[in-house]
Amino acid sequence: MPIINLPNVRLHVQELNPEGQETIIMVHGMFSNLAVYYFNIAPLLAKHFRVVLFDMKGHGMSEKVPTGYDLTSMTNDLRDLMDALGIGQAHLAGYSYGGLVALKMATRFPDRVGKLAIIEGPDPSEQETLTIIDTYSREFLIHYIENFADTTRLLAGKRQLEKNHRMYEFLFNETSIRSDMEAEKAFFNDPAVAAIAHETLLIYGEESNCVPSGRTLASRIPNATLVLAPGDHNIPVQQPEVIGKELEKFLEAASLPVG
Amino acid sequence: MDQLIQDYKLGKEEIFETLNQFITEVIGEEFVEEMDITPASSFTKDLEMDSIEIVAFSEKVKNHFGSNIDFTGWLSNMDLDEIIQLKLENIINYIQECQ
Repeated sequence: MPIINLPNVRLHVQELNPEGQETIIMVHGMFSNLAVYYFNIAPLLAKHFRVVLFDMKGHGMSEKVPTGYDLTSMTNDLRDLMDALGIGQAHLAGYSYGGLVALKMATRFPDRVGKLAIIEGPDPSEQETLTIIDTYSREFLIHYIENFADTTRLLAGKRQLEKNHRMYEFLFNETSIRSDMEAEKAFFNDPAVAAIAHETLLIYGEESNCVPSGRTLASRIPNATLVLAPGDHNIPVQQPEVIGKELEKFLEAASLPVG
Repeated sequence: MDQLIQDYKLGKEEIFETLNQFITEVIGEEFVEEMDITPASSFTKDLEMDSIEIVAFSEKVKNHFGSNIDFTGWLSNMDLDEIIQLKLENIINYIQECQ
């Protein structure tokens, strides 16, 4: 599996259809990894585009580092990754906290970003954001126990539970992830967000607690379209085809020559 | 005729051994020792592999069996339930069909 050495961190990267003319880079959310895109959404987009997926630092198979989970550090990583892969400009899609990384890229490095797709990006000023993520993680674990922890195979089930538990323990107790996220509270009020000129697609789940965040972004980013799809915050897992098709439609329009 | 085909096609047993090796590399020998990996083993339930481990496994399959098989494309036609149900023998059969 390709691990790319960047100046500050080693990241696990997967590419689909490397010959594609235009590139889309997809950024996953907190406590997740690139697998959220790998099986359904990425192969669909790879029919038309070069698709680059990567695990954020501290996640998936990327290097575990104690600091640098704020949006500035995360976008430094992404810029370094683009440099390392020789990508001048790419469309960006980001899910949850990855959506905030994509937005931050558009504010810091506008020339490096084509179109911008934000899936379920939460407003970090909402006190509940961290709570939502916490609850989500707990629900995820409970879901996991109910569905996969077959009582006759407790040993095997234990391995996954312990692996997940280790990841939360690491990120919450051994890294700056909590304070880094809390320090981003004012991000949606940053004038740079309202100045994003990129064509922007906002996809939120109808049932998601994050819909108000989507409306906030839709009202601030001049060139943004909000799409509500059936599902909640977990929509890329619940409705990968819907997300894939929305992204395909949004990006295809970009690549069609005008006139 | 059958003999001729077997001469250049990898048998199920050989493919299984290779996949078994990949699983060991992905999840670690210490865990594999506690399991009985068979062609009927399912990835999520029996082997308790999570999605990022299946990604790592897929990459090994792609690198080893090469461009003859479109493993990611094959997986992408499945919904989540089908991936959860996926057994080792499904992959063995798929690789055999592609040869």
